[in-house]
Amino acid sequence: MGENTPFDEMYNADGSVREPYRALSEWLGEQPEKGLALMQADAEAIFRKLGITFAVYGSEEGTEKVIPFDVIPRIIAANEWRKLSRGIEQRVKALNAFLYDIYHRQEILKAGRIPEKLILNNAAFCPQMMGLEPARGVYAHIIGVDIVRVGPDEFYVLEDNLRTPSGVSYMLEDREAMMMLAPDLFQRSKVAPVETYPENLRRTLESVAPAGAGRNPVIAVLTPGIYNSAYFEHSFLADQMGAQLCEGQDLFVDGGKVYMRTTTGPERVDVIYRRIDDDYLDPLTFKPDSMLGVPGIFDAYRAGNVTLVNAPGTGIADDKAVYTYVPEIIEFYLGEKALLNNVPTYNCTDVDQRAWVLENIAELVVKEVHGSGGYGMMVGPTSTKAQHEEFKKKIIARPDNYIVQPTLALSTCPTHINNDVAPRHVDLRPYVLVGDEVRITPGGLTRVALKKGSLVVNSSQGGGTKDTWVLED
Amino acid sequence: MESWSVEGPGIGNAGRFTDGFGNAAHLVNQLRPEGEINIHVRGEVTTRDSHGVLGRPSGEPVPALYRRLTEAAKAPEALYEPFRNAKENRLSICHALMARVGEELGLPEEPKAPQQMQANGGQAQVQEVAEAGEPRPPAADYAHLFIGAARALDIPARYVVGYRLVDGEDGLHAWAEALDEGLGWVGFDPHAQICPTESYVRLAIGLDAETAPTLRTVPLAEVVQVAKVSAV
Repeated sequence: MGENTPFDEMYNADGSVREPYRALSEWLGEQPEKGLALMQADAEAIFRKLGITFAVYGSEEGTEKVIPFDVIPRIIAANEWRKLSRGIEQRVKALNAFLYDIYHRQEILKAGRIPEKLILNNAAFCPQMMGLEPARGVYAHIIGVDIVRVGPDEFYVLEDNLRTPSGVSYMLEDREAMMMLAPDLFQRSKVAPVETYPENLRRTLESVAPAGAGRNPVIAVLTPGIYNSAYFEHSFLADQMGAQLCEGQDLFVDGGKVYMRTTTGPERVDVIYRRIDDDYLDPLTFKPDSMLGVPGIFDAYRAGNVTLVNAPGTGIADDKAVYTYVPEIIEFYLGEKALLNNVPTYNCTDVDQRAWVLENIAELVVKEVHGSGGYGMMVGPTSTKAQHEEFKKKIIARPDNYIVQPTLALSTCPTHINNDVAPRHVDLRPYVLVGDEVRITPGGLTRVALKKGSLVVNSSQGGGTKDTWVLED
Repeated sequence: MESWSVEGPGIGNAGRFTDGFGNAAHLVNQLRPEGEINIHVRGEVTTRDSHGVLGRPSGEPVPALYRRLTEAAKAPEALYEPFRNAKENRLSICHALMARVGEELGLPEEPKAPQQMQANGGQAQVQEVAEAGEPRPPAADYAHLFIGAARALDIPARYVVGYRLVDGEDGLHAWAEALDEGLGWVGFDPHAQICPTESYVRLAIGLDAETAPTLRTVPLAEVVQVAKVSAV
């Protein structure tokens, strides 16, 4: 898996430029001295003006920050993308079929292909979802699949993110900024558009409106409010697709139907793109002390009067312990071999595997089963001995709470660092919409670890983003 | 069921749905409730004694769901471990579990267990003196303990809330059901130490008391429930 030298997406081993990067390479060579630095300063101003910020939990400086943006785009060839998108489509279809099965007859458990206890006793499994028939049988409508590249033809899926994946606003804003910064570069290449995302999101949401919603279903985006780290994105998406942005108190349930309070009286809501976690969605069914949700909204969903997007309980399909079974899941429901690789994952509850993990911890990546955002994880090769020991103790204390994977040599892309260009590690989160059809936006969000050698790309841990180009034939 | 009616403010406009466990439910909202809200439920039900055997009603989720462990329904290892490698069939194990739960939380006063008194007379009497006057834990605790123990032994078990006809007592009651491969669901009432008879009426099922409440409110309100059950 490319343990030694990471795959450089721009240069071949002999120093020649890879085909998809040719136009970019020429363009970089033509830039005047300090050209990139000026562009970087412009980018900063653009993002401040767009108001795109994110919040870092536990940060001592102000909570609102501009996410670092790198002015050199990441480029994916048309044939590479075709292969990737086929694999992604296969994955999201299988995972939705899995969710339907798990919340109905549970054939995959009866067949013994996944241990029953792993699902039934999982905190992410939602018994309240049993027997519900979601519109078009879709549970996860909005998905962000985290992918890393380790070789010319080798991609691995790190996580499937079927709950409420964020970051799509960065994908859109990065493109907008890039077009302002380097219009000449766009003229030299045929880049697939990403601007269609909000329209496709709207189409997807309309396609899963409940029966009887009429020709123009009313869509609302439900946000936890301004203190949420992704509030900007919630308001941005509502604005872009012409939907109402609501907080819990703006909605109410009457007669088993959901209404929005408006200045002209209550208006019926058909589809809710909710960015509130399952637990906080409805105090009548889930956490009784939640102030963020809407009492009765889940009951209205069960009554078939509103569609919740994504459905509650989708987390069982992107649980880190279930992740290892995704190839199995694809085979079971589609009768196909998985097109995209899973990262080999060690199970610490197995005595032999645990012993091996503890011995080799310095080479491995340890993740909390229910962690996200790069919190609670350790990358062996870039951590100190003390950190290795700390995580060893954690694994021994709660082996079921961690998964362990080999450290992947993430591919690198040319990145603007101190007025120079240097390779930095990147990952990729393509955004997928599932409704009447599967719509995958070409490209996605590329996150880049700005620190030299770092493999952690999360924005909360010092990562930045890049515009991601998929070239058209 | 001969008749069933739910009366209360707003019930005419109630949202109706089936929950994840197959229970029929009503959702009512009160925009500006003033003072008390009274809900009256009246019904007449014809019952028969099936020795607790319910079978496999349609429209229910897969029984395996009821192997899910929950916080509310837990049992200490000592209670179920002796049954781990038992040779008896599931039904016998469940009967034995019901007896163990009774011993653990206290047996009903009537009928007394005379054999135990004889076999271990002195000790049992001391216990009785110590417990005199102290009410037994609620039926929900018995059901939870039974369910927790059954699930620990890989037997699907669920919580039932309903009515029980007992002279002079409030009729609201809780018990458990366990799955027998052959018979389907079988009721066990560890609080009364019997399998449900014609004196029982099932109202709702769930994983535990939290998922099978008869009434849920937001914001949390003080709920007083009184049930009168009588034979016609």
